[in-house]
Amino acid sequence: MPDSPFQIGGIAVKKREKGRWVGYAFVLPAVIYMLVFIGYPIIYNWVISFQDATAYTLKDAGRAFIGLTNYQTIFADPTFARSIQHTFIYTIGCLIIQFTLGFALAMFFSKKFTLAKPIRGLVVISWMLPVTVTALVFKFMFSQDSGIINTILMNLHIIDEPVGWLLSGGTAMAVLIIANSWVGIPFNMLLLTTGLNNIPLDVYEAASIDGATKKQQFFMITVPLLKPTIMSTLVLGFVLTFKVFDLVYVMTGGGPVDSTEVLSTYSYKLSFQQFQFGQGAAAACVLFVCLFIVALIYLRTISKSEVD
Amino acid sequence: MSREKKEKKVYQTPAEKRKNIAFNILAVVLCCLFLFPIYWIVVNSFKIDSEIFAKIPTLWPHEFTLKAYGEQFGALGTTLKNSIIIAVGSLVISMVLSVPAAYGLAKYKIKGGKFFILIFLTTQMLPASLVLTPLFLIFSNLELLNTYLAPILSTATISIPFVVLMLRPSFLSISTELVEAAKIDGCGTLRAFFKIVVPISRPAVITAGCFGFVYAWNDLAYSMTFNTAENMRPMTSAIYTFMNQYGTKWNSIMAYGVLLILPCVIIFVTMQKYIVEGLTSGSVKG
Repeated sequence: MPDSPFQIGGIAVKKREKGRWVGYAFVLPAVIYMLVFIGYPIIYNWVISFQDATAYTLKDAGRAFIGLTNYQTIFADPTFARSIQHTFIYTIGCLIIQFTLGFALAMFFSKKFTLAKPIRGLVVISWMLPVTVTALVFKFMFSQDSGIINTILMNLHIIDEPVGWLLSGGTAMAVLIIANSWVGIPFNMLLLTTGLNNIPLDVYEAASIDGATKKQQFFMITVPLLKPTIMSTLVLGFVLTFKVFDLVYVMTGGGPVDSTEVLSTYSYKLSFQQFQFGQGAAAACVLFVCLFIVALIYLRTISKSEVD
Repeated sequence: MSREKKEKKVYQTPAEKRKNIAFNILAVVLCCLFLFPIYWIVVNSFKIDSEIFAKIPTLWPHEFTLKAYGEQFGALGTTLKNSIIIAVGSLVISMVLSVPAAYGLAKYKIKGGKFFILIFLTTQMLPASLVLTPLFLIFSNLELLNTYLAPILSTATISIPFVVLMLRPSFLSISTELVEAAKIDGCGTLRAFFKIVVPISRPAVITAGCFGFVYAWNDLAYSMTFNTAENMRPMTSAIYTFMNQYGTKWNSIMAYGVLLILPCVIIFVTMQKYIVEGLTSGSVKG
């Protein structure tokens, strides 16, 4: 397709068309990759969830469709209902701690003092570490025999004898929430800081000239102006927390018994410990529906401001 | 920036100075408390067995030893190699695909551009556990289980959307004239991309590469599921197996942990400013 110098009009048209093709050439490979390795598996996951897929039928070309049997099986399993319940308890517990402490830290570090910026940056390191290691060190710190937490609490006379934090359901869930918040707090802080920095200072100056107290300034200026950031932080936090897998799997493995079983570990165990792939896929589909609803809310909240 | 410069010139009253000191002290205390788990990983990796099993943990190793590390090295070679191959492979795929994609979405008006951004936004939020079962069956049929390809291909899906969303804003800020000028000088689109766009945004691209590496390096779910053979496991799943076998030999586990967090810490310390910025834009902005 050599462009002849005589076709001036033709060149212009071709150039624009070429421009568009170049754009697609840049973008499409990544999009296709995501569709192949995430999009297609998600659809395939729905198919499997209606199939008789177990270790025995793994290599079969045409697995039998068994309707809703997989769903009926997991819905009849009391552990499934409990794992949904645990997932929500965990997510909401994490959100409350992460958001309030993250917000408090964001406010604190937005004050002007010499070390504000360096230290604010430093605490984000927890986000970079492998969750596996985070899970292990918290397991170690909260262990009954040589855990530092028990030692500290006993020295402060808050407890009389070592507590087996991970050995009973309620405390194990609390420890999971604490461990996850260690990663979540700086993340929430970071997102909220970005929002705080976008509020113009003169709004506060004007308010304090008008005699507004610090408390009034917080509730009448900071919170309303920060509302979009607060919304996206909460929804993003929900999605990132709700999908928890590594942390629970490494720290408690869903135990003791099934007291910290969450949807993703439940699905994982069905697929890869009991080799009931159909049931594991069905549980993953339930997880997908939950996440999808929240993701839709998220996309709606940001679509106006961010995507444009 | 300008806001801060202005403040530095303002004269601090003694009361303000005291406030500054108090805030700094509080910040340092908070920071130490917060970073304690990292300190705990490192310190305990240098303890001897009897100190680890003592009823009352010591804040500092009374007897400093590298024994816990020595015990790791036999098993370490293979898993370290696996981790590096997986992380680098995933990094390469992720960069090759997502840097151009971010540029295309920033600089070309293409039909469906918004839709593509939405695809990246949504896929970024979907967890591994959603696709573990189907990918396992797919990889099983393709005979890819227990090869490097399985974790490489799957972990790249974690970083691609993140990198695209993170890089797009920085590509948006490149002036179109610059690229056009290069093209007029006879630079092809691809050459302009490699010779001008990428070098100009080098900090952002390098940061993106760091995330591409770290996301794959940190992965447990995919690698553990697809590569069950012992000689194909990366360090994350090896440390997990190790914990199940050795239970409370925490000095050995923590020594392993130190080696596992080392690349992340090095990357973070050297690139902190860019990482913190990238984390925000990659997570929220479209």
